[in-house]
Amino acid sequence: MASVAESEFPLASRRRRRFTRQTVGRALAPYALLAPAATAIGVILGYPLYLLVKMSFEKYGLFELIRHKGRWVGTANYASILHDGQFWHVLLRTILFTVVNVTLTMVLGTAIALLLLQVSRWLRIAITTGLVLVWSMPVIVAVDIWRWMVDYEFGVANWTLTKLHIVNFIRHDWFANPWTGFAVITALIVWGAIPFITITVYAALAQVPQELLEAAAIDGAKPWAVFREVTLPLLMPIFVILTSLSIIWDFQVFQQIWVMLDFRPTSDYYTMAIYAFHQSFQISEYGLGASIAVVMVLFMFLATLVYLRQMLRTGEVR
Amino acid sequence: MSSVTQIAPTPVAPVVPRKIGRRRRVHKLGWNLLGLLVLAVMVFPVYWMVATAFKPGQQILSYTPQWFPTSPTLSNFRDAIDQPFFWNAVKNSLIIVSAVVALSVVLAFLASLALAKFHFYGRKAFIVLILGVQMVPLAALIIPLYILMSRLGQIDKLTGVIAMYLTFVLPFTVWTMRGFLLGIPKELEEAAMVDGATRFGAFVRVLLPLVGPGLVATSIFAFIQAWNEFIIAYVFLHTPEKQTLMVWLASFTTLRGTDWGPLMAGATLSALPVVVFFLLVQRRIAFGLTAGAVRG
Amino acid sequence: MKARLLVVAVLAAMLAVAATTASGGTSKAQAGKIVVWLQNDAQNGWPEAVALASRTFKAQHPDVDVDVQYQSWGTHLQKFDAGLVGGDAPDVIELGNTEMTKYMAAGAFKSLTQSAFPNNKTWLQGLKGSCQYNGKLYGVPYYAGARAVIYRKDQYKAAGIKSTPKSFAQFLADGKKLMKKYGKKDGGYSAIYFPGKYWYFAMSVVYDYGGKIAVRSGGKWKGTLNSPQALQALNQVKTMFKSLTRASKTTDEANPQQALVFAKGKVGSFVGNGWEWPYALDEKLGDPSLAPVVGAYPMPSHTAGKFMPTFLGGSDLAVPVTTKNQSLAVDWIKAFTSTAAESEIAKAGNIANTTKLLAFNASNPKLAPFARAAKYSWFVPTSPNWANVENANVLQDMLVKIATGRASVKAAANSASSQITRILNTGA
Repeated sequence: MASVAESEFPLASRRRRRFTRQTVGRALAPYALLAPAATAIGVILGYPLYLLVKMSFEKYGLFELIRHKGRWVGTANYASILHDGQFWHVLLRTILFTVVNVTLTMVLGTAIALLLLQVSRWLRIAITTGLVLVWSMPVIVAVDIWRWMVDYEFGVANWTLTKLHIVNFIRHDWFANPWTGFAVITALIVWGAIPFITITVYAALAQVPQELLEAAAIDGAKPWAVFREVTLPLLMPIFVILTSLSIIWDFQVFQQIWVMLDFRPTSDYYTMAIYAFHQSFQISEYGLGASIAVVMVLFMFLATLVYLRQMLRTGEVR
Repeated sequence: MSSVTQIAPTPVAPVVPRKIGRRRRVHKLGWNLLGLLVLAVMVFPVYWMVATAFKPGQQILSYTPQWFPTSPTLSNFRDAIDQPFFWNAVKNSLIIVSAVVALSVVLAFLASLALAKFHFYGRKAFIVLILGVQMVPLAALIIPLYILMSRLGQIDKLTGVIAMYLTFVLPFTVWTMRGFLLGIPKELEEAAMVDGATRFGAFVRVLLPLVGPGLVATSIFAFIQAWNEFIIAYVFLHTPEKQTLMVWLASFTTLRGTDWGPLMAGATLSALPVVVFFLLVQRRIAFGLTAGAVRG
Repeated sequence: MKARLLVVAVLAAMLAVAATTASGGTSKAQAGKIVVWLQNDAQNGWPEAVALASRTFKAQHPDVDVDVQYQSWGTHLQKFDAGLVGGDAPDVIELGNTEMTKYMAAGAFKSLTQSAFPNNKTWLQGLKGSCQYNGKLYGVPYYAGARAVIYRKDQYKAAGIKSTPKSFAQFLADGKKLMKKYGKKDGGYSAIYFPGKYWYFAMSVVYDYGGKIAVRSGGKWKGTLNSPQALQALNQVKTMFKSLTRASKTTDEANPQQALVFAKGKVGSFVGNGWEWPYALDEKLGDPSLAPVVGAYPMPSHTAGKFMPTFLGGSDLAVPVTTKNQSLAVDWIKAFTSTAAESEIAKAGNIANTTKLLAFNASNPKLAPFARAAKYSWFVPTSPNWANVENANVLQDMLVKIATGRASVKAAANSASSQITRILNTGA
């Protein structure tokens, strides 16, 4: 950051007298900037997170909940989940689910953002408005609508597919087979996630200075090369962020599966978040639920470690 | 100061304008068709929600779904609004969301400035913390949060909910704003420093318009997160007067199943403020576009 | 400089917010108010009963406000757990009768004196059982629902069924007649609408054949869905799934609401609660024109002349242990379970908590079959861990496997039984 100091004070000689005060001010500035946000997060989440970790080492069932006091059991909770066969099945299923969802979301979301640059202005506004409409639907309502569309008796999906003579889907049960069930859930989640990705990537594309693009075009570069050499590097930080956030969010998917299966998913639909919820609230074993949550966090940390390192490195270059 | 290549006039062979024009128009038509297809597919479920809201109950539960409500009715909307505490819910949701958006945009911008533009002790730790905090599943945090809020006297209070939403929204908004700030080409920043302004003044005057699109995107995100959240609002707000719209929507599902018509009508009404907010701020995204073009 | 001012301003704002929140005291229950949590079924179903109770209570305690807050079934227990840990649970709470044992065993409720409540000597035995634990009373029966067969009289007639079946075997035979008459023409027709996860009805068949979900011996529970009687019953259930119904194999009876599917005309009969009969005739969602051709009869047992036991679902009212207004809470419950209020609840198609009002139901042709069916009932194992069995979807899992053919009846029952054994014995 030394270069900034030089360009910032081209008439440095005149300002040298106030240099000391400004040095101190500059050193404290980041902390002052950070303080409000850090305080908000720290105050609200600090104690609960401490409690969560503490509970993961305690037996904290309904009995203990009423008496506000857990019973220390060391790593018994962790041992019990790691030895539970179901835990590993659910973990594997969640990983596969996350990979598919994140890939589809990022690819389709970026594709639509690029498409936005190519279409006429009126259509661009229409599509962005449409995307915001999709984004603004509450998850509960979105799931209700999708459940309604694939409804066994009255769903429009079955009826349309049959009418178009693609396949006879009258009274087709999308959830009898977990594969088709998850296909519907994936479609719902990707559909709901695209608007955010598209709008953010589009905003980032909008920040790419026109003259850089024009300069490359004049130099004779093809559109794809322009994208690869000019746009992509500028977009990299955003892509990395969006992908890691998508991984974190999709790994924790809960509500869509929960509501889609009428609050009672069968065990072959469990993802980590549902499994954790089941262990905490449904059987009121909050200690077990807490230990699953901690394991989830550690896992997500590992999964995003690559991106994390790249992220921190990107910061250094500047 | 700009490192942008000078656009020197290059001699070009005379091209036939009409041929290029037609090819470009055909390309444009192709893109537009694709765009329309994407629009139709994405928007269909939303259309289905609104169409269902206007259909009478019998048409909703029909073996042959109707694409278009042939006898539209406002009765679902009337039933929805008649459901108790609708206007309270609207008011509460608006209060919570306004506070969350305002606070989060300001706090996130400041914090992301610190993370993107400064080197300071604890920077990396904070970045890791920001990312880590988002990994904790909300369902697991409800009981610990309730214990904290209870001690702070924040149960059944809008301020408690605002504070919680803020903490859930901040990590993401800071993270993303940092990305936007990092994505600004160095040349543009330096170009602004020339006039000898103090660093902060330069930051605010130069960066703010450049990250306009980023601010808009994150404020929309904050709005939607706060508007659509259910479980925290449900657990932490008790009296019906304090309900938010999402909790109010949940009252349409009872042991008797779901009352589709009024639910869809209520959902349509709930989605309106978000759309209005977006339409108000969407011009800033376009502004960001032109801002990039004017430079240099 | 400008930005620094901005930072200071924001910090000041945050301090201000913190200050205002700190000064606002906790809104724990005070003597001037009691908080009641009822499920939202009461909000739309029998609001007069709630109003009546609050009026009676107000007359007794003019300076105490009653705040009735309605909850949703899927999430009310999470909120209750949070309230218990935070110390601000309501003064009165409604719980499903299958949810009671778990909370009673954990000491979540204050113990009550039975003689204080109206009609306590004639409480429905099935409901009363769910309010007792270790010999003490921790809840008050609120209302119940019994299921009977709701059917299309005209379709029965057209299929040549002269009278309602008197035995389960005849019911199945009648079902075949209906499928022959209507099912051949319409691939979507169901003689009986029986969704895969409808365990209340499936278990009724099990109990009818002498099977049980679990039995307790020597202090330990054992899942018994794989007993010979239970297997025999489950095989009958499988026959129904295969040949008498075209309902979804993976949904339950509320999604979609079976009464509304019935109203669409492609269903000959379904097993439903008292309120589902008028619901099928609802003017907005059902088909009011069906009114003259809809009837009901209790499901016959496989032993001719008897009725199949029905699941006695219902709710109870309890006073959480965190309350500071126990006597006020008790007074409100007394007002809400008075004969007058319970009559309102019965009018809405439910079974009141007392046998005295069964006569009221019996005199109403729309409610009589359900009152008759209520005489023979079964209930879930009264273990504190039962709620966990329900939450683990063990029964639904088993039935879906049977219905979709993913497992044989025997294999599915074995798996379910061992799961039930494990869950019921946790922490024993």
